[in-house]
Amino acid sequence: MKIKTMRRTAQILTLAAIFIIPFMNVWELYFVKGTFYSMDIGNVAIADPLAVFQSMFASGKINAYMIASLIIPIALMIFFGRIWCSWFCPYYLFAEWVESLRRKLGFRDFRPEYTKTMPSRASRVRFLFLFLGLIVMGVIGVPVLNLISAPGIISSQALVVVKFGYVTFELAIVLVILFFELFYFRYWCRFFCPTGTFLSMFRWKRGMAVQKVRNDCSKCHSCIKSCPVIINPMTEGESLHCNNCGDCIDACQDNLNKQTIKFTFK
Amino acid sequence: MPRNRFTEKLAKVLNSNPFKGFFKLNRLRPPGAVKEDIFMELCIRCARCIVVCPYGSIHRADVYEKLQIGTPYIFADKKACYLCMKCPPVCPTGALDPKLSSPENVRIGIAVINQETCLNYLYYEEEIEGVSKGYAQLCNTCNNVCPFTDEAIYMEKHILPVVTDKCTGCGICVEKCPTTPKSINVYPTGMGVKAQAGFYNRKQNFTGENTTEGTLHGDELIKQKQKINSYGAKPDFEYNLETYESRDEWQEQ
Repeated sequence: MKIKTMRRTAQILTLAAIFIIPFMNVWELYFVKGTFYSMDIGNVAIADPLAVFQSMFASGKINAYMIASLIIPIALMIFFGRIWCSWFCPYYLFAEWVESLRRKLGFRDFRPEYTKTMPSRASRVRFLFLFLGLIVMGVIGVPVLNLISAPGIISSQALVVVKFGYVTFELAIVLVILFFELFYFRYWCRFFCPTGTFLSMFRWKRGMAVQKVRNDCSKCHSCIKSCPVIINPMTEGESLHCNNCGDCIDACQDNLNKQTIKFTFK
Repeated sequence: MPRNRFTEKLAKVLNSNPFKGFFKLNRLRPPGAVKEDIFMELCIRCARCIVVCPYGSIHRADVYEKLQIGTPYIFADKKACYLCMKCPPVCPTGALDPKLSSPENVRIGIAVINQETCLNYLYYEEEIEGVSKGYAQLCNTCNNVCPFTDEAIYMEKHILPVVTDKCTGCGICVEKCPTTPKSINVYPTGMGVKAQAGFYNRKQNFTGENTTEGTLHGDELIKQKQKINSYGAKPDFEYNLETYESRDEWQEQ
Protein backbone atom coordinates (compact mmCIF):
# COMPACT_ATOMS: atom_id res chain seq x y z
CA MET A 1 0.00 0.00 0.00
CA LYS A 2 1.23 3.43 -0.85
CA ILE A 3 2.14 5.67 2.03
CA LYS A 4 0.17 8.47 0.43
CA THR A 5 -3.04 6.43 0.65
CA MET A 6 -2.54 5.86 4.36
CA ARG A 7 -1.64 9.46 4.87
CA ARG A 8 -4.69 10.72 2.96
CA THR A 9 -6.92 8.40 5.01
CA ALA A 10 -5.50 9.82 8.24
CA GLN A 11 -5.96 13.35 6.95
CA ILE A 12 -9.57 12.80 5.87
CA LEU A 13 -10.37 11.13 9.18
CA THR A 14 -8.90 14.11 11.03
CA LEU A 15 -10.93 16.48 8.88
CA ALA A 16 -14.06 14.46 9.64
CA ALA A 17 -13.18 14.39 13.33
CA ILE A 18 -13.06 18.17 13.67
CA PHE A 19 -16.74 18.20 12.63
CA ILE A 20 -17.81 15.02 14.43
CA ILE A 21 -16.26 15.97 17.80
CA PRO A 22 -18.27 19.20 18.21
CA PHE A 23 -21.35 17.36 16.99
CA MET A 24 -20.86 14.80 19.76
CA ASN A 25 -20.32 17.64 22.21
CA VAL A 26 -23.59 19.26 21.20
CA TRP A 27 -25.19 15.94 22.16
CA GLU A 28 -23.39 16.26 25.50
CA LEU A 29 -20.92 13.44 24.87
CA TYR A 30 -17.78 14.90 26.31
CA PHE A 31 -15.42 11.96 25.92
CA VAL A 32 -13.40 13.80 23.31
CA LYS A 33 -13.57 17.56 23.59
CA GLY A 34 -11.65 20.57 22.44
CA THR A 35 -9.94 21.86 19.34
CA PHE A 36 -6.46 21.48 17.94
CA TYR A 37 -5.20 24.15 20.32
CA SER A 38 -5.98 21.82 23.18
CA MET A 39 -7.90 18.58 23.27
CA ASP A 40 -8.99 16.01 25.83
CA ILE A 41 -9.37 12.36 24.87
CA GLY A 42 -10.86 10.71 27.91
CA ASN A 43 -8.59 11.98 30.64
CA VAL A 44 -5.56 12.36 28.41
CA ALA A 45 -4.75 15.99 27.69
CA ILE A 46 -3.10 17.02 24.43
CA ALA A 47 -2.23 20.60 23.56
CA ASP A 48 -0.46 22.56 20.87
CA PRO A 49 3.00 23.01 22.47
CA LEU A 50 3.43 26.49 21.02
CA ALA A 51 0.07 27.65 22.40
CA VAL A 52 0.91 26.38 25.87
CA PHE A 53 4.44 27.77 25.69
CA GLN A 54 3.09 31.19 24.74
CA SER A 55 0.71 31.29 27.65
CA MET A 56 3.49 30.15 30.02
CA PHE A 57 5.82 32.78 28.59
CA ALA A 58 3.30 35.61 28.70
CA SER A 59 1.89 34.97 32.15
CA GLY A 60 4.81 33.34 33.94
CA LYS A 61 2.44 30.75 35.35
CA ILE A 62 2.81 27.02 34.92
CA ASN A 63 0.39 24.41 36.15
CA ALA A 64 0.49 20.64 36.10
CA TYR A 65 -2.21 20.42 33.44
CA MET A 66 -0.11 22.45 30.99
CA ILE A 67 2.91 20.19 31.50
CA ALA A 68 0.79 17.04 31.21
CA SER A 69 -0.74 18.19 27.95
CA LEU A 70 2.72 18.70 26.46
CA ILE A 71 3.86 15.12 27.03
CA ILE A 72 2.06 13.36 24.18
CA PRO A 73 2.69 15.83 21.32
CA ILE A 74 6.36 16.20 22.20
CA ALA A 75 6.84 12.44 22.65
CA LEU A 76 5.21 11.90 19.23
CA MET A 77 7.49 14.57 17.79
CA ILE A 78 10.61 12.99 19.32
CA PHE A 79 9.89 9.46 18.18
CA PHE A 80 8.04 9.92 14.90
CA GLY A 81 9.17 13.32 13.69
CA ARG A 82 6.81 16.01 12.52
CA ILE A 83 4.03 13.63 11.49
CA TRP A 84 1.48 16.05 12.95
CA CYS A 85 1.98 18.34 9.95
CA SER A 86 1.81 15.89 7.09
CA TRP A 87 -0.47 13.20 8.49
CA PHE A 88 -3.04 15.14 10.50
CA CYS A 89 -2.94 18.89 10.00
CA PRO A 90 -6.07 19.97 8.09
CA TYR A 91 -4.30 22.96 6.63
CA TYR A 92 -1.68 20.70 5.02
CA LEU A 93 -4.50 18.76 3.36
CA PHE A 94 -6.03 21.98 2.02
CA ALA A 95 -2.63 23.11 0.75
CA GLU A 96 -2.22 19.80 -1.08
CA TRP A 97 -5.66 20.20 -2.61
CA VAL A 98 -4.84 23.74 -3.73
CA GLU A 99 -1.70 22.41 -5.37
CA SER A 100 -3.57 19.69 -7.25
CA LEU A 101 -6.26 22.21 -8.21
CA ARG A 102 -3.55 24.37 -9.69
CA ARG A 103 -2.22 21.40 -11.64
CA LYS A 104 -5.70 20.59 -12.94
CA LEU A 105 -6.25 24.18 -14.02
CA GLY A 106 -3.13 23.78 -16.17
CA PHE A 107 -0.99 26.49 -14.60
CA ARG A 108 2.71 26.16 -15.22
CA ASP A 109 4.83 24.35 -12.65
CA PHE A 110 5.71 26.76 -9.87
CA ARG A 111 7.73 24.47 -7.70
CA PRO A 112 11.11 26.00 -6.86
CA GLU A 113 14.15 24.02 -7.96
CA TYR A 114 16.14 22.32 -5.22
CA THR A 115 19.52 23.85 -4.54
CA LYS A 116 21.88 23.06 -1.72
CA THR A 117 21.38 26.40 0.05
CA MET A 118 17.59 26.11 -0.02
CA PRO A 119 17.03 24.32 3.33
CA SER A 120 19.31 26.62 5.31
CA ARG A 121 17.69 29.70 3.78
CA ALA A 122 14.25 28.37 4.62
CA SER A 123 15.43 27.60 8.16
CA ARG A 124 16.61 31.15 8.61
CA VAL A 125 13.26 32.57 7.51
CA ARG A 126 11.08 30.32 9.61
CA PHE A 127 13.06 30.57 12.83
CA LEU A 128 13.38 34.33 12.43
CA PHE A 129 9.61 34.53 11.93
CA LEU A 130 8.95 32.43 15.02
CA PHE A 131 11.43 34.48 17.04
CA LEU A 132 9.91 37.80 15.96
CA GLY A 133 6.45 36.40 16.65
CA LEU A 134 7.48 35.42 20.17
CA ILE A 135 8.97 38.86 20.77
CA VAL A 136 5.76 40.55 19.61
CA MET A 137 3.81 38.13 21.76
CA GLY A 138 5.98 38.96 24.78
CA VAL A 139 5.61 42.71 24.29
CA ILE A 140 1.85 42.59 23.82
CA GLY A 141 1.41 39.89 26.45
CA VAL A 142 -1.28 38.11 24.45
CA PRO A 143 -0.69 34.74 22.71
CA VAL A 144 -1.05 36.33 19.28
CA LEU A 145 0.66 33.50 17.38
CA ASN A 146 -2.53 31.51 17.96
CA LEU A 147 -4.23 33.95 15.60
CA ILE A 148 -2.19 32.57 12.69
CA SER A 149 -2.11 28.95 13.80
CA ALA A 150 -4.01 27.43 10.87
CA PRO A 151 -4.99 23.98 12.28
CA GLY A 152 -6.31 25.48 15.50
CA ILE A 153 -8.33 28.09 13.67
CA ILE A 154 -9.80 25.54 11.25
CA SER A 155 -10.90 23.20 14.02
CA SER A 156 -12.28 25.96 16.23
CA GLN A 157 -14.19 27.40 13.29
CA ALA A 158 -15.62 23.94 12.60
CA LEU A 159 -16.77 23.90 16.22
CA VAL A 160 -18.38 27.33 15.91
CA VAL A 161 -20.13 26.30 12.68
CA VAL A 162 -21.52 23.12 14.21
CA LYS A 163 -22.55 24.72 17.48
CA PHE A 164 -23.82 28.15 16.43
CA GLY A 165 -24.08 28.04 12.63
CA TYR A 166 -21.83 30.99 11.86
CA VAL A 167 -18.13 31.61 11.38
CA THR A 168 -15.95 34.32 12.86
CA PHE A 169 -13.31 36.50 11.27
CA GLU A 170 -10.47 34.08 12.00
CA LEU A 171 -11.57 31.94 9.06
CA ALA A 172 -10.72 34.85 6.77
CA ILE A 173 -7.12 34.73 8.04
CA VAL A 174 -6.84 31.08 7.00
CA LEU A 175 -8.54 31.74 3.65
CA VAL A 176 -6.08 34.55 2.86
CA ILE A 177 -3.13 32.32 3.76
CA LEU A 178 -4.62 29.54 1.64
CA PHE A 179 -5.22 31.89 -1.29
CA PHE A 180 -1.54 32.72 -1.57
CA GLU A 181 -0.79 28.99 -1.81
CA LEU A 182 -1.95 29.40 -5.42
CA PHE A 183 1.06 31.56 -6.20
CA TYR A 184 3.80 30.43 -3.84
CA PHE A 185 4.48 26.72 -3.50
CA ARG A 186 3.72 25.60 0.10
CA TYR A 187 5.08 28.89 1.38
CA TRP A 188 3.15 28.80 4.67
CA CYS A 189 4.28 25.36 5.82
CA ARG A 190 7.84 25.88 4.61
CA PHE A 191 8.54 29.39 5.85
CA PHE A 192 6.00 30.69 8.31
CA CYS A 193 3.80 28.23 10.19
CA PRO A 194 4.81 28.91 13.83
CA THR A 195 3.33 25.66 15.13
CA GLY A 196 5.36 23.55 12.70
CA THR A 197 8.54 25.50 13.36
CA PHE A 198 8.15 25.17 17.10
CA LEU A 199 7.44 21.44 16.79
CA SER A 200 10.45 20.83 14.60
CA MET A 201 12.74 22.08 17.36
CA PHE A 202 12.00 18.88 19.26
CA ARG A 203 13.32 16.67 16.47
CA TRP A 204 15.47 13.84 17.78
CA LYS A 205 18.11 12.37 15.52
CA ARG A 206 17.27 8.80 16.48
CA GLY A 207 13.56 9.13 15.81
CA MET A 208 11.78 8.07 12.64
CA ALA A 209 13.35 9.58 9.54
CA VAL A 210 13.64 8.98 5.82
CA GLN A 211 16.90 7.31 4.91
CA LYS A 212 18.51 5.92 1.78
CA VAL A 213 19.50 2.40 2.74
CA ARG A 214 21.29 1.48 -0.52
CA ASN A 215 24.27 3.27 -1.89
CA ASP A 216 23.70 2.59 -5.56
CA CYS A 217 20.39 3.99 -6.72
CA SER A 218 19.60 5.02 -10.26
CA LYS A 219 19.95 8.72 -9.32
CA CYS A 220 16.76 9.72 -11.07
CA HIS A 221 16.19 12.44 -8.44
CA SER A 222 12.46 11.76 -8.46
CA CYS A 223 12.48 11.92 -4.64
CA ILE A 224 13.86 15.46 -4.74
CA LYS A 225 11.27 16.46 -7.33
CA SER A 226 8.44 15.09 -5.20
CA CYS A 227 9.53 16.60 -1.87
CA PRO A 228 6.99 19.19 -0.64
CA VAL A 229 9.49 20.93 1.66
CA ILE A 230 12.26 21.13 -0.99
CA ILE A 231 15.00 19.14 0.64
CA ASN A 232 17.07 16.25 -0.62
CA PRO A 233 15.49 13.17 1.02
CA MET A 234 18.51 11.02 0.17
CA THR A 235 20.87 12.95 2.42
CA GLU A 236 18.76 15.32 4.51
CA GLY A 237 16.22 12.94 5.98
CA GLU A 238 17.05 14.13 9.50
CA SER A 239 16.58 17.78 8.56
CA LEU A 240 14.25 19.90 10.69
CA HIS A 241 12.26 20.59 7.55
CA CYS A 242 11.31 16.98 6.88
CA ASN A 243 7.80 16.21 8.07
CA ASN A 244 7.89 12.47 7.29
CA CYS A 245 5.14 12.66 4.67
CA GLY A 246 6.67 9.77 2.73
CA ASP A 247 6.11 11.27 -0.73
CA CYS A 248 9.73 10.54 -1.64
CA ILE A 249 9.28 6.86 -0.74
CA ASP A 250 6.23 6.66 -3.01
CA ALA A 251 8.02 8.45 -5.83
CA CYS A 252 11.15 6.31 -5.78
CA GLN A 253 11.18 3.92 -8.77
CA ASP A 254 13.98 1.80 -7.35
CA ASN A 255 11.79 0.93 -4.39
CA LEU A 256 9.71 -1.31 -6.71
CA ASN A 257 12.68 -3.65 -7.19
CA LYS A 258 14.68 -3.30 -4.03
CA GLN A 259 14.24 -1.20 -0.94
CA THR A 260 16.18 1.99 -1.51
CA ILE A 261 14.62 4.75 0.57
CA LYS A 262 12.42 4.14 3.56
CA PHE A 263 11.49 5.24 7.09
CA THR A 264 14.03 4.05 9.61
CA PHE A 265 14.63 4.29 13.34
CA LYS A 266 18.24 4.55 14.32
CA MET B 1 7.97 68.53 31.94
CA PRO B 2 4.84 70.50 31.24
CA ARG B 3 1.78 68.38 30.93
CA ASN B 4 -1.01 68.99 28.52
CA ARG B 5 -3.88 67.10 27.04
CA PHE B 6 -1.72 65.31 24.49
CA THR B 7 0.89 64.05 26.94
CA GLU B 8 -1.92 62.94 29.22
CA LYS B 9 -3.39 60.79 26.47
CA LEU B 10 0.03 59.42 25.57
CA ALA B 11 0.75 58.55 29.19
CA LYS B 12 -2.60 56.85 29.49
CA VAL B 13 -1.80 54.65 26.49
CA LEU B 14 1.78 53.85 27.47
CA ASN B 15 1.25 53.32 31.18
CA SER B 16 -1.22 50.54 30.58
CA ASN B 17 -0.92 47.83 27.98
CA PRO B 18 -2.96 49.18 25.05
CA PHE B 19 -3.65 45.69 23.73
CA LYS B 20 -5.69 44.35 26.58
CA GLY B 21 -8.03 45.44 29.30
CA PHE B 22 -11.01 46.32 27.13
CA PHE B 23 -14.36 46.20 28.80
CA LYS B 24 -17.84 46.59 27.49
CA LEU B 25 -21.16 46.63 29.24
CA ASN B 26 -22.86 43.23 29.36
CA ARG B 27 -19.83 41.49 27.83
CA LEU B 28 -18.58 39.00 30.41
CA ARG B 29 -15.89 36.38 30.72
CA PRO B 30 -16.97 32.83 31.62
CA PRO B 31 -17.32 32.08 35.35
CA GLY B 32 -14.08 31.60 37.23
CA ALA B 33 -12.14 33.95 34.97
CA VAL B 34 -9.01 35.44 36.51
CA LYS B 35 -8.25 39.16 36.25
CA GLU B 36 -8.76 40.45 32.73
CA ASP B 37 -5.12 41.17 31.82
CA ILE B 38 -3.94 37.82 33.20
CA PHE B 39 -6.84 36.16 31.44
CA MET B 40 -5.64 37.57 28.12
CA GLU B 41 -2.16 36.18 28.79
CA LEU B 42 -3.40 32.74 29.74
CA CYS B 43 -6.24 32.16 27.30
CA ILE B 44 -5.02 30.18 24.29
CA ARG B 45 -8.37 30.43 22.48
CA CYS B 46 -8.85 26.67 22.53
CA ALA B 47 -12.64 27.05 22.78
CA ARG B 48 -13.09 24.23 25.26
CA CYS B 49 -15.33 26.35 27.47
CA ILE B 50 -17.45 27.00 24.37
CA VAL B 51 -17.58 23.26 23.73
CA VAL B 52 -18.87 22.27 27.15
CA CYS B 53 -21.36 25.11 27.62
CA PRO B 54 -24.72 23.30 27.43
CA TYR B 55 -26.71 26.50 26.90
CA GLY B 56 -24.54 27.98 24.15
CA SER B 57 -24.03 31.07 26.28
CA ILE B 58 -20.29 31.38 25.66
CA HIS B 59 -19.41 32.78 22.26
CA ARG B 60 -16.14 33.11 20.38
CA ALA B 61 -15.18 36.77 20.08
CA ASP B 62 -15.25 38.11 16.55
CA VAL B 63 -13.12 40.77 14.87
CA TYR B 64 -14.95 43.72 16.44
CA GLU B 65 -13.59 42.68 19.84
CA LYS B 66 -10.09 43.75 18.64
CA LEU B 67 -7.20 41.55 19.86
CA GLN B 68 -9.57 39.60 22.07
CA ILE B 69 -10.67 37.82 18.88
CA GLY B 70 -11.06 34.13 19.57
CA THR B 71 -11.40 34.46 23.34
CA PRO B 72 -14.63 33.40 25.07
CA TYR B 73 -17.29 35.94 25.95
CA ILE B 74 -20.79 35.84 27.37
CA PHE B 75 -23.08 38.47 25.92
CA ALA B 76 -25.49 38.87 28.80
CA ASP B 77 -28.14 40.80 26.91
CA LYS B 78 -28.45 37.96 24.37
CA LYS B 79 -27.92 34.89 26.50
CA ALA B 80 -26.71 34.94 30.06
CA CYS B 81 -24.62 32.48 32.04
CA TYR B 82 -26.73 29.97 33.95
CA LEU B 83 -23.93 29.10 36.38
CA CYS B 84 -23.84 25.37 35.62
CA MET B 85 -20.08 25.51 36.41
CA LYS B 86 -19.04 23.14 33.63
CA CYS B 87 -16.45 25.43 32.07
CA PRO B 88 -13.94 26.20 34.87
CA PRO B 89 -12.59 22.62 35.19
CA VAL B 90 -11.96 22.17 31.45
CA CYS B 91 -9.71 25.20 30.96
CA PRO B 92 -6.22 23.84 30.11
CA THR B 93 -4.19 26.88 31.19
CA GLY B 94 -5.96 28.08 34.32
CA ALA B 95 -7.46 31.18 32.71
CA LEU B 96 -10.66 29.95 34.36
CA ASP B 97 -9.95 28.94 37.95
CA PRO B 98 -10.40 25.12 37.93
CA LYS B 99 -11.01 24.95 41.68
CA LEU B 100 -14.13 27.07 41.50
CA SER B 101 -17.13 24.79 41.80
CA SER B 102 -19.81 26.63 43.73
CA PRO B 103 -21.89 29.10 41.74
CA GLU B 104 -22.28 31.55 44.63
CA ASN B 105 -18.53 32.27 44.56
CA VAL B 106 -18.56 33.39 40.93
CA ARG B 107 -17.77 37.08 40.49
CA ILE B 108 -17.76 37.87 36.80
CA GLY B 109 -19.44 41.22 37.15
CA ILE B 110 -21.99 43.19 39.05
CA ALA B 111 -25.47 44.25 38.03
CA VAL B 112 -26.38 47.92 38.24
CA ILE B 113 -29.95 49.15 37.98
CA ASN B 114 -30.73 52.24 35.98
CA GLN B 115 -33.30 53.93 38.17
CA GLU B 116 -34.44 56.29 35.42
CA THR B 117 -35.89 53.54 33.24
CA CYS B 118 -36.64 50.72 35.70
CA LEU B 119 -40.41 50.25 35.71
CA ASN B 120 -40.63 49.78 39.46
CA TYR B 121 -38.70 52.94 40.23
CA LEU B 122 -40.89 54.86 37.80
CA TYR B 123 -43.98 53.37 39.44
CA TYR B 124 -42.74 54.38 42.85
CA GLU B 125 -42.08 57.89 41.64
CA GLU B 126 -45.61 58.16 40.28
CA GLU B 127 -46.99 56.80 43.49
CA ILE B 128 -45.20 59.46 45.52
CA GLU B 129 -46.08 62.30 43.21
CA GLY B 130 -49.60 61.11 42.65
CA VAL B 131 -49.41 61.91 38.94
CA SER B 132 -49.56 59.16 36.32
CA LYS B 133 -47.22 59.32 33.35
CA GLY B 134 -48.40 56.03 31.91
CA TYR B 135 -45.67 53.87 33.43
CA ALA B 136 -47.85 52.42 36.11
CA GLN B 137 -46.92 48.77 35.89
CA LEU B 138 -45.16 46.59 38.37
CA CYS B 139 -42.33 44.34 37.28
CA ASN B 140 -40.63 41.82 39.51
CA THR B 141 -38.63 40.11 36.80
CA CYS B 142 -35.05 40.67 37.96
CA ASN B 143 -35.85 39.51 41.47
CA ASN B 144 -37.74 36.48 40.21
CA VAL B 145 -35.17 35.21 37.70
CA CYS B 146 -32.12 35.81 39.89
CA PRO B 147 -30.56 32.48 40.92
CA PHE B 148 -29.98 34.02 44.37
CA THR B 149 -33.36 35.62 44.87
CA ASP B 150 -33.55 37.93 47.89
CA GLU B 151 -29.80 37.60 48.37
CA ALA B 152 -28.25 39.13 45.27
CA ILE B 153 -31.32 41.24 44.49
CA TYR B 154 -33.89 42.11 47.11
CA MET B 155 -36.95 44.28 46.96
CA GLU B 156 -36.68 47.31 49.14
CA LYS B 157 -40.09 48.33 50.54
CA HIS B 158 -41.37 45.32 48.56
CA ILE B 159 -41.10 47.28 45.34
CA LEU B 160 -37.65 48.72 44.59
CA PRO B 161 -35.05 46.19 43.36
CA VAL B 162 -31.62 46.67 44.94
CA VAL B 163 -28.48 44.72 44.00
CA THR B 164 -26.24 43.56 46.84
CA ASP B 165 -22.61 42.47 46.74
CA LYS B 166 -23.68 38.83 46.55
CA CYS B 167 -24.38 39.45 42.86
CA THR B 168 -22.39 36.95 40.79
CA GLY B 169 -22.79 38.91 37.56
CA CYS B 170 -24.35 36.02 35.69
CA GLY B 171 -26.57 38.40 33.73
CA ILE B 172 -29.83 36.46 33.79
CA CYS B 173 -31.61 39.61 35.00
CA VAL B 174 -30.20 41.50 32.01
CA GLU B 175 -31.39 38.84 29.58
CA LYS B 176 -34.91 38.88 31.02
CA CYS B 177 -35.34 42.60 31.71
CA PRO B 178 -38.43 43.62 29.70
CA THR B 179 -37.50 47.24 29.01
CA THR B 180 -35.60 48.54 26.00
CA PRO B 181 -32.94 49.67 26.56
CA LYS B 182 -32.25 47.32 29.45
CA SER B 183 -32.78 48.90 32.85
CA ILE B 184 -30.34 46.54 34.52
CA ASN B 185 -26.83 46.06 33.14
CA VAL B 186 -23.88 43.95 34.20
CA TYR B 187 -20.52 45.65 34.54
CA PRO B 188 -17.79 43.02 34.01
CA THR B 189 -15.29 42.68 36.85
CA GLY B 190 -12.50 45.18 36.35
CA MET B 191 -14.65 47.74 34.58
CA GLY B 192 -15.27 50.85 36.63
CA VAL B 193 -18.81 51.28 37.90
CA LYS B 194 -19.60 54.96 38.13
CA ALA B 195 -22.45 54.43 40.53
CA GLN B 196 -20.05 52.84 42.98
CA ALA B 197 -17.20 55.32 42.52
CA GLY B 198 -15.96 57.21 45.53
CA PHE B 199 -17.12 60.50 46.94
CA TYR B 200 -14.73 62.58 44.81
CA ASN B 201 -16.27 61.20 41.65
CA ARG B 202 -19.80 61.66 42.93
CA LYS B 203 -19.13 65.24 43.92
CA GLN B 204 -17.84 65.91 40.44
CA ASN B 205 -20.97 64.50 38.90
CA PHE B 206 -23.19 66.27 41.38
CA THR B 207 -21.78 69.72 40.99
CA GLY B 208 -20.69 69.29 37.41
CA GLU B 209 -17.46 71.14 38.12
CA ASN B 210 -14.72 70.66 35.59
CA THR B 211 -11.88 69.14 37.50
CA THR B 212 -8.22 69.57 36.71
CA GLU B 213 -7.41 66.15 38.14
CA GLY B 214 -6.20 64.87 34.80
CA THR B 215 -3.33 67.31 34.59
CA LEU B 216 -2.36 67.36 38.28
CA HIS B 217 0.12 65.02 39.86
CA GLY B 218 1.69 64.31 43.21
CA ASP B 219 1.33 66.98 45.87
CA GLU B 220 -0.75 69.24 43.64
CA LEU B 221 -3.31 66.49 43.21
CA ILE B 222 -3.45 65.85 46.95
CA LYS B 223 -3.94 69.57 47.58
CA GLN B 224 -6.71 69.65 45.01
CA LYS B 225 -8.40 66.70 46.65
CA GLN B 226 -8.07 68.24 50.08
CA LYS B 227 -10.03 71.25 48.92
CA ILE B 228 -13.12 69.12 48.46
CA ASN B 229 -15.60 69.39 51.21
CA SER B 230 -19.14 68.30 51.55
CA TYR B 231 -20.37 71.51 53.11
CA GLY B 232 -23.72 72.44 51.67
CA ALA B 233 -24.29 69.09 49.97
CA LYS B 234 -27.44 67.46 51.20
CA PRO B 235 -26.77 64.02 52.69
CA ASP B 236 -28.83 61.33 50.99
CA PHE B 237 -30.16 59.48 54.01
CA GLU B 238 -32.86 57.00 53.46
CA TYR B 239 -35.47 58.91 55.44
CA ASN B 240 -34.74 62.56 55.18
CA LEU B 241 -35.78 64.56 58.17
CA GLU B 242 -36.84 68.05 57.49
CA THR B 243 -35.81 70.39 60.23
CA TYR B 244 -37.97 73.37 60.95
CA GLU B 245 -36.80 76.63 62.35
CA SER B 246 -39.96 77.01 64.26
CA ARG B 247 -43.07 75.01 64.78
CA ASP B 248 -46.43 76.50 65.36
CA GLU B 249 -47.50 73.96 67.94
CA TRP B 250 -44.38 74.00 70.02
CA GLN B 251 -43.65 77.64 70.32
CA GLU B 252 -42.28 78.48 73.67
CA GLN B 253 -44.24 81.02 75.50
